[in-house]
Amino acid sequence: MSNITLTEDEKDVLQELMNVAYGNATAIVADMLDAFASLSIPNIKIMQTAELLNELHDLKGDSYFFSTQAFAGEFSGESAFFIDNESAQNLALHLELETDEDLQDAILELTNVLTSSLTTRLAKEMNTEVKFSLPSISKIPLNEMDQNDSFKEYSQVIVIDTQLNFEDQKINGEIFILTKDGSIEWLKNQLNNILEAMM
Amino acid sequence: MAEKSTQQYLRSNDVNEKLIASIDNGIIILDEELSIFYYNKWLEIHTQLKEVDVLNHKIDEVFTNINGKTLKRKIKTALRMETPTFYTATITKYLLPIKINQLKISGFKHMRQDVSVIPFDKEKRLVALIITDQTNVTNTNNLLQSNIKKVQDLNNELIKERETIDERVILLKIDTNNLITQTSRAYTDLLGFDKESIINNDYFYLERLQMPVALKEEIQKHQREKKVLKFEKVSLTSEGKEICLLSTLVPQYNQSAQHIGFIIFSENITNAKLLQEHQEKLLRNSRASAMGEMISMIAHQWRQPLSVINTIIATLKIKKELDILEDHLITSSYNRIEETVSFLSETIDDFRNFFKENKELKRVPMHIIFEKSNNLLRSEMEIYSILYEEDIDEKLLITTLQNELVQTIINILKNSVDAFKENPHDAQKLTVKSYESQTCITIEIEDNAGGIPKDILQKVFEPYFSTKSKNGTGLGLYVCKTIIEEHLKGQLTMRSRDNKTKTIIELPKNVVVS
Ligand SMILES: Nc1ncnc2c1ncn2[C@@H]1O[C@H](COP(=O)(O)OP(=O)(O)OP(=O)(O)O)[C@@H](O)[C@H]1O
Ligand SMILES: [Mg+2]
Repeated sequence: MSNITLTEDEKDVLQELMNVAYGNATAIVADMLDAFASLSIPNIKIMQTAELLNELHDLKGDSYFFSTQAFAGEFSGESAFFIDNESAQNLALHLELETDEDLQDAILELTNVLTSSLTTRLAKEMNTEVKFSLPSISKIPLNEMDQNDSFKEYSQVIVIDTQLNFEDQKINGEIFILTKDGSIEWLKNQLNNILEAMM
Repeated sequence: MAEKSTQQYLRSNDVNEKLIASIDNGIIILDEELSIFYYNKWLEIHTQLKEVDVLNHKIDEVFTNINGKTLKRKIKTALRMETPTFYTATITKYLLPIKINQLKISGFKHMRQDVSVIPFDKEKRLVALIITDQTNVTNTNNLLQSNIKKVQDLNNELIKERETIDERVILLKIDTNNLITQTSRAYTDLLGFDKESIINNDYFYLERLQMPVALKEEIQKHQREKKVLKFEKVSLTSEGKEICLLSTLVPQYNQSAQHIGFIIFSENITNAKLLQEHQEKLLRNSRASAMGEMISMIAHQWRQPLSVINTIIATLKIKKELDILEDHLITSSYNRIEETVSFLSETIDDFRNFFKENKELKRVPMHIIFEKSNNLLRSEMEIYSILYEEDIDEKLLITTLQNELVQTIINILKNSVDAFKENPHDAQKLTVKSYESQTCITIEIEDNAGGIPKDILQKVFEPYFSTKSKNGTGLGLYVCKTIIEEHLKGQLTMRSRDNKTKTIIELPKNVVVS
């Protein structure tokens, strides 16, 4: 796999960009949910896919909804959203959804909103454009996660822990932005451009 | 030149419009309140609604299945994000209810649709819904899914079966050079060897110590002929324990029908073998002990007649020496000896049949039974001055195994005579009675020879229990008990009081002997 890693400086810039993008996403999610919702300040980590799989392995608890959405362009990859069952039920409650299908549709929408707005904004900050394909969803037991071959295609993962807070209930989720080596190189390049410009 | 004019032509015409008209997608333009502003040809055809009929109508009123609230949310979000939002065929199935008439798609009534909600005009708050037919893809997906599930189920079953086979079936595979290529866990577990230490070894070398030459040759012959062979063989475990295996040699072929070796399936028949041997031993033992018991019984029953013969011969001898032997005594003695000898040989037959079934019942007068019994005891009773009294109705008949009943009565009477010899007195008396009731015939034999102490009385029927130091075998009453209770289905009891011993035999009238 890849040996490309980001330097501390590069990580700092990325974190900055993510914060901006995330602020944008928060506002959109609040709109979408038609409620006063706040997203906690994101905790952003960049890791190798193998590490991520290990981390997922350690997660206990019941099943998770796992939705993914591919994006294409100079910066390409796949974003994924993990939401635990309890949070999904909270979401259903909030949106007054009745059927499982409606719930899954809403999760996809949430995925789409979070990842699209995040990635679009991130791309915009880096002077590029991305195009999204349809998201897909699966409800999978975590222990089958590492059999998910699509994950292995990627080398680096940007992991964003999020927490949506409503008046009385919380929705916890985790967003992953999975990228391939080529994109990481591109990203590294762009981050350095920004770094230089700031100097 | 041509290129240039084409380019000009394309610029001058509205390419987009043309393309959109012929595109294989549904396109609707909506505002935030769901009013329809554009409805393309594709939709007109598929929904059989004309654009003019739907323009300015709300889409959730035209298609009542649409959840307006959700759609509004998606539109609002798309406009807000400036990127599309979606409906997916896998989850929402369809937005517009378009019936499908294709026969091959059996599962679905309506076209499966992916729908992208694309921000179209931010100012005018318009979005475009791009509808893509995903029916075939979804159908293929579903088929794939159900097949994957089937394959998975089959695979799981296979794995499980493999495991059970490995666990249960004692199996060995050898190649054409007799090298072991595979063993099951059941095999290695049973014999206590490591798989590693067996694999790649020569089968015959491994078995060399426990395989008779003849068996080896037999196996090799079947190997040459590629035939199935069943054989029994003892194998040694790593701990040196013997295990008996019933094995089957089966030739093995690969997919291209090439012979690649043999499979040897085995069944552990050690326990079955042991059981069989054990049973045979038991059988031998019980036969031997039955034989022994029979001989002891014959020996016991022979003692009285033999002593009778002895007495006769001794008498003859003495009279001869004293020269007072008369002819008629010789004749009568001779007759009695003959009679007694034939009784001896009858006794052998009786006891040979002792453990057999279906013995022959006879209907005989009771007093005859006693006459036959007394034949062997009369002289002894006279010698020891024992008064014998018999109270038996001449007409009393009994259906019984005559000889066995006679042997019983001899034993009982003999015990009384023995007791008088031990404990002689002036008024020695033996009384015999027999009578019948509705269901049974009773025989009572009573002596006044001193009686039996209580603790001894409890044991008299046990085989080999005897208080007689010299000649007692202790079999007499045991034989009686066996005959009366097991063969004749009656009851034998003994009582003792006031120097008297009373033996009571109760026999059912309707005998079914065994
Ligand atoms: N009529 C009797 N009076 C006193 N004791 C008796 C009488 N009959 C049996 N017994 C006691 O019961 C014991 C067992 O009798 P049994 O006929 O079985 O063996 P046995 O007479 O001792 O030996 P065997 O029959 O070989 O001579 C005798 O040894 C004796 O002690
Ligand atoms: Mg006796």
